[in-house]
Amino acid sequence: MNALRESYGQEIDQILAKYPDDEKRSAVMPLLFVAMRKDGYVNKQDLEDIGEIIGRSSTDVASILGFYTLFHDKPEGKYRIQVCNDLPCALRGADEYLDNLCDNLGIRPGETTEDGVVTLEAVMCLAACDKAPMFQVQDYNGVAYHENQTVESTMQLVESWRAEGGKDA
Amino acid sequence: MTEAVENQVEEQAQPEEKLVTLTIDNIEVSVPEGTVLVDAAKKIGVDIPVFCYHPKMEPVGMCRMCLVEVGRPVFDRATGEPVLEEDGSPKIQFGPKLDTGCTVEVSEGMVVRGYTEEVVDARKEVLEFLLTSHPLDCPICDKGGECPLQNLTMRYGPGTSRFIFDEKHHAAKHVPLGEIIYLDRERCIQCARCTRFQDEVVDDPVIGFSQRGRSLEIVTFSDPGFDSYWSGNTTDICPVGALTTADFRFGARPWELKASASVCNHCPVGCNTTVNTRREAKSGGELVIKRMMPRQNEYINEIWMCDKGRFAHHYTQSEERLTQPMVRNEVGELEATSWEAALDLVAEEFKAASDGLVTLAGARLSNEDLFNIQQVTEKLGGKALQNTHMAGGELVASVGVGQGSNLSDLGEGDAILVVASDLEEEAPLYWLRIKQASERGATLVVANPRDTKLSSKANYELRYSYGEEAAAVMALLGSISPKTPGESEAVKKLSRGQEVKDAATAISEANNLVVLYGNEGTGLATSQSLADACANLLVATGHVGKANNGLIAVWDKGNTQGAYDMGLVPSEDLAADLMSAKAAYIVAADPAGDDATLAEAIKAVEEDAEKFLVVQELFLTESAKLADVVLPVQANTERQGTYTNAERRVQIFYPAVPAPVNVHADYAVAANIAERLDLKLQKVIPAQVMAQIAETVSDYAEVSYTKMAEVEEQWPIISSEDVFYGGTSYENEQGMGQQLQPASQGGESPALSFAQVADAPKVDGLLAVPVTRLYDRGSTVVPTELLSERLTPTSVVLSPDDAEKLSIEPDAEVTVKLNGTETKAQARIEAGVPQGYVLVPRSVGIALNSPSPVEIKA
Ligand code: SF4
Ligand code: SF4
Ligand code: FES
Ligand code: FES
Repeated sequence: MNALRESYGQEIDQILAKYPDDEKRSAVMPLLFVAMRKDGYVNKQDLEDIGEIIGRSSTDVASILGFYTLFHDKPEGKYRIQVCNDLPCALRGADEYLDNLCDNLGIRPGETTEDGVVTLEAVMCLAACDKAPMFQVQDYNGVAYHENQTVESTMQLVESWRAEGGKDA
Repeated sequence: MTEAVENQVEEQAQPEEKLVTLTIDNIEVSVPEGTVLVDAAKKIGVDIPVFCYHPKMEPVGMCRMCLVEVGRPVFDRATGEPVLEEDGSPKIQFGPKLDTGCTVEVSEGMVVRGYTEEVVDARKEVLEFLLTSHPLDCPICDKGGECPLQNLTMRYGPGTSRFIFDEKHHAAKHVPLGEIIYLDRERCIQCARCTRFQDEVVDDPVIGFSQRGRSLEIVTFSDPGFDSYWSGNTTDICPVGALTTADFRFGARPWELKASASVCNHCPVGCNTTVNTRREAKSGGELVIKRMMPRQNEYINEIWMCDKGRFAHHYTQSEERLTQPMVRNEVGELEATSWEAALDLVAEEFKAASDGLVTLAGARLSNEDLFNIQQVTEKLGGKALQNTHMAGGELVASVGVGQGSNLSDLGEGDAILVVASDLEEEAPLYWLRIKQASERGATLVVANPRDTKLSSKANYELRYSYGEEAAAVMALLGSISPKTPGESEAVKKLSRGQEVKDAATAISEANNLVVLYGNEGTGLATSQSLADACANLLVATGHVGKANNGLIAVWDKGNTQGAYDMGLVPSEDLAADLMSAKAAYIVAADPAGDDATLAEAIKAVEEDAEKFLVVQELFLTESAKLADVVLPVQANTERQGTYTNAERRVQIFYPAVPAPVNVHADYAVAANIAERLDLKLQKVIPAQVMAQIAETVSDYAEVSYTKMAEVEEQWPIISSEDVFYGGTSYENEQGMGQQLQPASQGGESPALSFAQVADAPKVDGLLAVPVTRLYDRGSTVVPTELLSERLTPTSVVLSPDDAEKLSIEPDAEVTVKLNGTETKAQARIEAGVPQGYVLVPRSVGIALNSPSPVEIKA
């Protein structure tokens, strides 16, 4: 049966109500958000469930999922550290900072620490150029900025997340 | 040249279409309004290079390969008169930028230039961009030799790259999109031809783009991967070597291949095909079949074919093929013998049996085979039967679609009725053509007991219960002419409601009406009443005897219509007919393998020393194992012949590979038997057999190999020397075939009987009904290993309600008790199946000829 619908029936009905009957496929984005919120990524079953709800193939849903970088299709770190290393930040040492952070975390941009706490990414300008090195954290609760960073300050933050219990916290 | 071209173009244009005249590369051309520039150019032999544009799909303008200079005449704003140059020619204003020739439509006086420096530069630049992320591994690429990227790079591309080689983009090269189609990610140029084909053309959106930019890739999330009967076509239209079939990849280079024209006989559409062969060391120096490709015929398959037709050819070169005549010796074993001995024995026994001869021929045979076999049988006064459970061959001969029909002509103002058919499973190309007609605006009425893939296109959907097929059609007829006699309960019930009345009105008011009936849930008797009812409907509404009107039977075999035309009839009780035979002559059929009851009948013939059984076959089938004499024959890829498709188009297939030594075609074997019975039949040249058919069978009087081989100019023009356009489908240089005239078109008024309308059979428990699945387990399909995972298992299909009642889990093994047999089968559960019915797919291991009570045990 449709697992997504079973767990989020009411919310899904509300989402669908916003679209005319013959345009239900437009509900694909909000439905992907629902699935993302569930475990931080969209799994294959979710794709099928959403496809069934909006009457499109799961491949169609997957195309949309793949198009947007902020949707994820596999489990990754609980916290997503997105370091800006665009030109202005690089001039303030973001590149070096990112390199060192990588060494400390033992991963490269795009990878996830073994304990599943952190995924590290290099991104384009986040509009905080004057406070570089900086990054934003994406987690289940939303987005937070951390500015004027050193590797030490960042590692402290990471350690505090780890202390909270990491993945299942 | 210009003049000649103009004439052709005008001929193709519909009368009401407005022609627009423009100049492309200094050549004047007139084309219908709405034509895009690349098509207009193609008509005068000017190739504007394209990647994403395909003449069978909507333009998207994604790749920019088709950039050209487009100029339009300047008009004086005040007077509205064209502004002239000093020399008196109209002043042309060119656009500030280049335009995409695939999206710009023609307009009066337009001037298009595809040869200027600016255009040539643009082509070079587009290619340079594409090549930054393309491996150019042409030497190991399957498309090499028929690849537009390769050819255009040679013609327009930069000789060197300005990009750093080490930083070249690389991506995965062997990505299975399922076991049939492979993706080479780094070769993909992101033209979306494949994804658009799957979505727009065949309505199976099971592949799609994921990610963006360089990371973009084709993905599939269906189970099994790339789950579509049409997947092979994407490898034809992919303009690079990104999509390949597991069947052909790394198999051969295109330039090593020889091409021979053929016709698919897996279903009654009769798609035109090309067999590509190669003589290779790997196969001991033999000429072998490397791939099966579509061949353009806009009357039939356009430039497409289904995966069954494309891949299920391996049986023809199977190791299991019979190569020697065999005769049963004193100890009861089959033993190789000479043709002389075998044929002498057969003739002697047939003569002895005389009118006790019963012939059963399969409709995968050609007209020539069927004719000679029928003649042998007739000479002795025996019974000539064909193994079909579908009736109506004579009706199609009488009220079939008229000469000159083309399903592509149907559109607005026309109507199509499809009854008792799961059309995509029964005849994939008919499904596609009917879907397209409905998209062009034809009114589609679908009558079936459950949803099929066609349902979503239907304007009117009529539901009836299995067994009420004819009643459903009579209900339509009753709504039009209320004086229909003998109304049964079923007809009354089905006549209620607005849907049927509206559908009936649409049908009676249609300019053109084509009725297709299939074999969903029908047996021979119900098929007969259904065909009668359909014929009545067509006659009553005046839709017979002209092109694009009439009856199409979606036959269960490739040449069933031909078999009917050659005088072979279905048997009402095959077991009884076989039991009564003094001698049985079974050709291209395996009753013993198909059905346990028939196996008993055949065994009875075999065990009776007085009786004699001859089996003429490709393989040592169950029936052949019981035969007194076994005669080997050639496969259709080894010889010539003709098939008659469901629209009664007769088409020639040609030999592609040499036959095994000492093995002959069916018509020749039959003619050799005939000779020993003092009957002269042609045995060397199939065209001569056809000449004899033309003399004997009046409907075929006009048919000849010469006329069938005539070609016509077709649109789109799909290929040219070096610039890819329509794909790797072959051009048709071997003939469009000949469509027969139904008797009603010759002025004969059809002799009709009113349909025997039955009410749905009443049973206490479940009723088993036969249905068709494209990937069955027939002897011509199973030898293709590539399809093995997709073949329908020995299975039955239940409704969710019945499954729950019987506590049957999806895919659980169940016991099926049917007609006194017990079979283990997989239980499938499908939402659309009506409660109380069990669908039994044909040719997958459970024999069922007509609806019968069934018991299913978990
Ligand atoms: S796989 Fe081929 S057809 Fe599909 S998008 Fe890529 S290049 Fe085009
Ligand atoms: S649609 Fe029918 S005739 Fe055409 S390729 Fe498929 S099986 Fe063969
Ligand atoms: S460049 Fe880094 S925040 Fe703007
Ligand atoms: S943009 Fe015209 S062919 Fe691709």
